[in-house]
Amino acid sequence: MNNSGRLFSAFLFGPIGIVYLLFLLAPIGFFLSMSLFRYDAFELYVPTVTSENFERVLTDSYYREIIFRTLKIAFLTCFFSLMLGYPLAYFLARSKSRWRGVLMFLVIAPLMSGIIVRTYGWIILLGQDGAVNKTLMTIGLISQPLQILNTEIAVLLALVHILMPYMVFPLFSALASQDPDVERAAGTLGAGRIRTFIEVTLPLSRTGILMGTALVFTLTAGAVVTPALLGGKDVQMLGQQIYDLILTTLNWPLASAVAFVLVVCQFLIIALYFRGGRHGPM
Amino acid sequence: MTVDTAPSGSSFHAARRSKFARQLLMGVTVTAIYAFLLTPILIIILSSFNTTSANTFPTDGVSLQWYREFLESPSFISAFQFSAWLGIVAAVGATIIGFLTAYGIVRYMGSYREVAQSIAMLPIMVPHILISISLLILLTVVPIPELAGLIIGHIIICLPFTVAGILASLDGVDPQLERAAWTLGASRMRILWEIVIPLIAPGLFSSLIFAFIISFGDVYIALFLSGPGMTTLPIEIFSYMQWESTPVIAAITTVQIIMIFGLGLIIERMVGLRQIMRI
Repeated sequence: MNNSGRLFSAFLFGPIGIVYLLFLLAPIGFFLSMSLFRYDAFELYVPTVTSENFERVLTDSYYREIIFRTLKIAFLTCFFSLMLGYPLAYFLARSKSRWRGVLMFLVIAPLMSGIIVRTYGWIILLGQDGAVNKTLMTIGLISQPLQILNTEIAVLLALVHILMPYMVFPLFSALASQDPDVERAAGTLGAGRIRTFIEVTLPLSRTGILMGTALVFTLTAGAVVTPALLGGKDVQMLGQQIYDLILTTLNWPLASAVAFVLVVCQFLIIALYFRGGRHGPM
Repeated sequence: MTVDTAPSGSSFHAARRSKFARQLLMGVTVTAIYAFLLTPILIIILSSFNTTSANTFPTDGVSLQWYREFLESPSFISAFQFSAWLGIVAAVGATIIGFLTAYGIVRYMGSYREVAQSIAMLPIMVPHILISISLLILLTVVPIPELAGLIIGHIIICLPFTVAGILASLDGVDPQLERAAWTLGASRMRILWEIVIPLIAPGLFSSLIFAFIISFGDVYIALFLSGPGMTTLPIEIFSYMQWESTPVIAAITTVQIIMIFGLGLIIERMVGLRQIMRI
């Protein structure tokens, strides 16, 4: 490439390079390395190497419980998003209905309305006087309103609802780019519907499943607002811990160690994604 | 699919019955999933016309008092305006940077396209809370105004989506056109300005709208980076909800939902939402 070409590439990639390097990667690197610093009540942090923050996060039963709960909720959210997202993505990818555009819009629209909006919807639904309790009481299943808000169930329901579209997109991409003739061929060769699905459709959509799972896992693990509003004090998750440590307790080194744990969990998931992706069909 | 030779009558009917049963099952499943997706949104809209201050449902009557309360609340109105302003600035920034990146990826990356694309998608793979805290800490070390931090944060979270959307639009542009212009002596900038940009104008416009929507709905970046005088609407709602929860929130979010559905419909008309689903 000649000189002006090189200049032009710099013009094209310069802005994103600067933004990602200076405002994304470098600050994250700095924040995570703070986990090795010593906490100081006056100066916030002292740059001397110590492992005390990690020791505290990994041995303190309080943090262990929160890490365990976060992982549990993240896995359950991934599982239910997949269970609900797969049929939806399959339907959207295969449907020939003229309503398909509208139906797709109805998946994207809730996503676009933001986290706060949807969390608020669940507060109205699940409250003491909410629609769920009122309905259950009307049909006589319960005589007193159930306490649903401030439980793990409420957080899980809302997270699945909020994050499911992120599962649908990659699944839809994977399923829509499949050649429908492959499925038909399996049928012609005598495979039943279920066998075709398990042995053909499902393996071909593996990239979508992994990508969607990685996305939903990341987003659940870092959730702050939804657990804070629907789970209250009883359902503490890692994201809220980091939030409190940064803004209330001002113990940044400890916050960094907690965040580090979160990033490690996530890396494991993404590593899985890349492994699966590389051997995948696409 | 057409059946050329009908099998013996009974198995033909059995096949049709099982096809019908399958479609029914699929229909019921999909309808249930849609009900799950849309109920919380519908319930907000219905509650915004509530007559009492409790979040009860079903409501006793219809009133617009919560909309009046919203319009008379200076803090919510100024938060709404600030969010709109921030959304426009972030959308313009993310669309310009996203366009340059996407063009570079399509025309100059060759076989490294996949890798470059994955790198551009980085911010969706990092929890937003981490991006936000890191920027906050950067601001304590480097003298950058808080507002700039907030704008950059929003540009970062919008970039994956603008890059992906514009990439899809650029795939529809025939590189021969640019080659022809190059042969005729047009400079690279002129090609960009006079050929590429007009050809993908709808894609750029919908990317602007999509970035605006993302910025407007963001909580996590603003959670750490919004300060006094620069509170975004979701943060204002979040801090309000931690203390009390009245249908005024339903009224505000209904306005937001209607605005976003409207913008979404514009994208659908311009390029089709299918493009967005291909992250």
